[in-house]
Amino acid sequence: MSAYRALILVSMVVFALALSYALTYGILRLEVPLTLRDLAKLYISTTFNPLKRELSAMTPEGVTAIVWDYRGTDTFFEIVVFYGAIIGSVALLGAVYRYPPGPGLSLIAKTVTRIVATMILVVGAAIALHGHLTPGGGFQGGATLAVSITIALVTFSLGALMLRGLTYGGMVALRSLGLIGIVLTVFMVVIASLTAGITAYVFQNQPKPGVPIGMAYSVDGIVFSGTVWFLNVLDAIAVAAGFALLFIVLIGGGVEGERE
Amino acid sequence: MYVEAILVFLGEALIAIGVFFDIIASIGMLRLPDFYSRIHALTVGTIGGAVVPLIGVALLALGAPFLGVYRLYLAGAAIITAILLLMLAPTGTHVIARAAYRSGAAKPLYISIDELATKSEGRGGEKR
Repeated sequence: MSAYRALILVSMVVFALALSYALTYGILRLEVPLTLRDLAKLYISTTFNPLKRELSAMTPEGVTAIVWDYRGTDTFFEIVVFYGAIIGSVALLGAVYRYPPGPGLSLIAKTVTRIVATMILVVGAAIALHGHLTPGGGFQGGATLAVSITIALVTFSLGALMLRGLTYGGMVALRSLGLIGIVLTVFMVVIASLTAGITAYVFQNQPKPGVPIGMAYSVDGIVFSGTVWFLNVLDAIAVAAGFALLFIVLIGGGVEGERE
Repeated sequence: MYVEAILVFLGEALIAIGVFFDIIASIGMLRLPDFYSRIHALTVGTIGGAVVPLIGVALLALGAPFLGVYRLYLAGAAIITAILLLMLAPTGTHVIARAAYRSGAAKPLYISIDELATKSEGRGGEKR
């Protein structure tokens, strides 16, 4: 063993021992503070509070409440940026052609992918559908769904999946469906308020002070948090289709063949 | 009472076995000569050093009554993760080894017979 290797070994051991000592005896001052700041108190008292319904987002998951209710417009423009990036990539990489099914990976990889990709689809759908109750939400669920599509693309080849319906046009249609749904959900309360003869806010979810109209937050005791559930599901569809579109274009764009 | 003690003992024993396999895998990753022999050490680390201790964690959680109903969540998550790793780790290793062989990125130096070289899946991506 050379002196250089011995030095690396000794420094790694010293680092691990020092870190464990510091964490055990609290030298780094990483203790959890016992008092809440006023901002935290505000969010905790308004994310899900049926007693203050006019101030509450009625979404038990705090992060999703902030993402789709407190700052919904900001999230909307984040999504616009994301789709702008995807449209840019699609425009740069050009048209996708219809391929014959390729050989794909080996039989072992295909068999395991059939099992695991299905499980990932279920997990992604659960993350999106429970986004208002558990950590996660639309974008995270959609990204998980896209993982499933991506490993299927790698394992079975683009041509084989195109035969089974994962086409460029289909993904564009699905992505547009999600986006149109998001826009309709954003204006849902406004449209309802026009028929009632009062004025509501864009991106409104629950009734607000001065605007008595709003979404219900539960059906038969099952909390769905008004617009947040719809926005999560539609965002998951749009994100999954957008990522799938990106990977289809990255794998199959700009090669000679019969155009789809 | 006795059942919980046995579960905790078994769980800790499995975690200790996992530590042993992880050390073996680390030594193998450092000491084995080429890619194809190191990949054996890699799978020792993922199966022996991750799947076995995860089952141990599940037993340990089941033998901890102070966790209440959450011990069932913990045990279920650990078992499912172990099953997934049991399926995915060999597949991943297989895919990596196949890609390395077919692309010619890693030369098989320490083998006595190369059966794939005579089949249609030749080296370096030719005549697939």
